[in-house]
Amino acid sequence: MKRTTRSLEEMLGPIPETVKAEVDLSFEISDRIDLLMRERGLTKKQFADALGRRPSEITKWLSGQHNFTISTLAMLSSFFGQPIVTVG
Amino acid sequence: MSEVELYLIQDGDNCTIYTLQFLRDTENEFEKFISKFKESAEYSEDYIRIAAFISRIARTGASERYFRQEGKMNDSVVALPVISSKLRLYCLRLSDKILILGNGGVKSTRTYDEDPTLKGYVMTLQKFENLLRQGIEDGSVTLTETTIGTDNIFEL
Repeated sequence: MKRTTRSLEEMLGPIPETVKAEVDLSFEISDRIDLLMRERGLTKKQFADALGRRPSEITKWLSGQHNFTISTLAMLSSFFGQPIVTVG
Repeated sequence: MSEVELYLIQDGDNCTIYTLQFLRDTENEFEKFISKFKESAEYSEDYIRIAAFISRIARTGASERYFRQEGKMNDSVVALPVISSKLRLYCLRLSDKILILGNGGVKSTRTYDEDPTLKGYVMTLQKFENLLRQGIEDGSVTLTETTIGTDNIFEL
């Protein structure tokens, strides 16, 4: 198997720390929601229906690429009865 | 016919990343995508996001939900990002732990197959996946949980 001459990091180029931190947090939030959904045995459709949202919105939440508002995070914490993110 | 080889970019326990290299080209498919958009005045911010997603996925794995489903029902072609952006990077997601990065571009039509350039990038990946599956059947390609093993030159 041949390898590319440049590493992935070299190919991608510099990624600002703020973007990395934001992407890491967003992926961690989506992974947390996915885990909580699986623990509840909820499909994407069932979850969307329970929240009165469109399935396409849940798809974005689970993609790791959504910029969540505090309002959405608070609503999700309330729905699951558990924190989605912990501060401090 | 175009000859193409599979190149390893990075291996890891959570995800191994590959790309395709046409023998006629100096850049691989993923480098072609980067060259077009890394310094682009209009799309460099979208590019940085995609670069950050790829970097994260390489570290933690290529879960299906991180990708936009493209291609046909029976293939493994996906795209980044899922969030709203006109930029598309096409990939073959063979599993949570194996990802092949392709080329991509700006999506200005409703679907990728209305744009001959984007359709070409998707078809390259679709054809490559078919050849890869044939190779697995004839034994010239090995597929493990995290790796693809082959020294084949594939004719697309």
